[in-house]
Amino acid sequence: MSLKRNVSLATGLRYKGQGPMLTFVLHRIGGLGMAIFVTVHILASFLGGELGVFLNTVYENWLFQIFVFFCALFHAINGLRITILDLFPKLLEHSREAIWIEWAVFVPVFGIAVLVIVQSALGG
Amino acid sequence: MQVTLKVFRYNPEVDKRFRYETYTIEAEETDRILDLLEYVKGYKDGTLSFRRSCAHGVCGSDAMRINGRNMLACKTLVRDVGDRITVEPLLGLKVAKDLIVDMEPFFDNYKKVLPYFINESPLPENGRERLQSPEQRARFDETTKCILCAACTTSCPSFWASDQYYGPAALVTAHRFIFDSRDEAASERMHIIAETDGLARCHTAYNCTLACPREIPITKAIGELKLATITGKVE
Repeated sequence: MSLKRNVSLATGLRYKGQGPMLTFVLHRIGGLGMAIFVTVHILASFLGGELGVFLNTVYENWLFQIFVFFCALFHAINGLRITILDLFPKLLEHSREAIWIEWAVFVPVFGIAVLVIVQSALGG
Repeated sequence: MQVTLKVFRYNPEVDKRFRYETYTIEAEETDRILDLLEYVKGYKDGTLSFRRSCAHGVCGSDAMRINGRNMLACKTLVRDVGDRITVEPLLGLKVAKDLIVDMEPFFDNYKKVLPYFINESPLPENGRERLQSPEQRARFDETTKCILCAACTTSCPSFWASDQYYGPAALVTAHRFIFDSRDEAASERMHIIAETDGLARCHTAYNCTLACPREIPITKAIGELKLATITGKVE
């Protein structure tokens, strides 16, 4: 008898795949985050009433907006990187540099967006 | 220096679930992880089980997770991983005992890509080699280096999710034959790897390339296969 094949989410996340693994995980979180946003958005419109209003307050909350923007932006930029590398496999020799470029684009864009969201949320 | 070696243990005849055992060992910085495991087996606990054969990075028997990453125990030095070392079996395959995993699903996937030379044409008139230019040979040189250690396949999140996925090692082998100018079954292999459990499950996570002890650019090879199956051109 042998141990069952069992790779739990926690076990998988503990694998030390360095930078590429981090982008892989964040890409999945990004996709899931956007799916949650769309679901909440549809449910809020569909259900209406007190529950609808409550769901509205959830996805209109500025913290949730930062989370959703993170998900959408990272998913888009990382998806673009993967698409380019898939179309031009020779560039995979520079995969590490591609990830650095991805972060170099993501961080300032996300930072500015967070600044604007926080300013408008706290500044009124 | 003193090294703390934490080892994944599972004895199917006694244990219901796995456990870890920690050993403190006197070691040199230049000792390999395989040396530490041999020491534990020889002097501390003879029941410890792990695979090893050539012990020189050629046979690929001793691939395992060392401090959370797939590596060959015979190619990894203590100084590469520090003095607190955790050794675990490869992910995504059933554990038979301690660090030994059941490699059958891995080899089943390997067989799917027809991992052998196919050429039904008659031999050249002199009855000797089917010649190819150095450029033609160089086209698939990198993917000939695979030692089937499974470090790549078991580092792949897609394989963790489903062992039906052929995995990077099988795809590397497909690359090795598809881009070989002497082989005549490229289209058949391309058809096979274009199945749902083939190329489509590669999400360019890149773990395979980082895990490969032979430094094969696996993701690049898979990328070339993706492009070849889309365009239908083997160039």
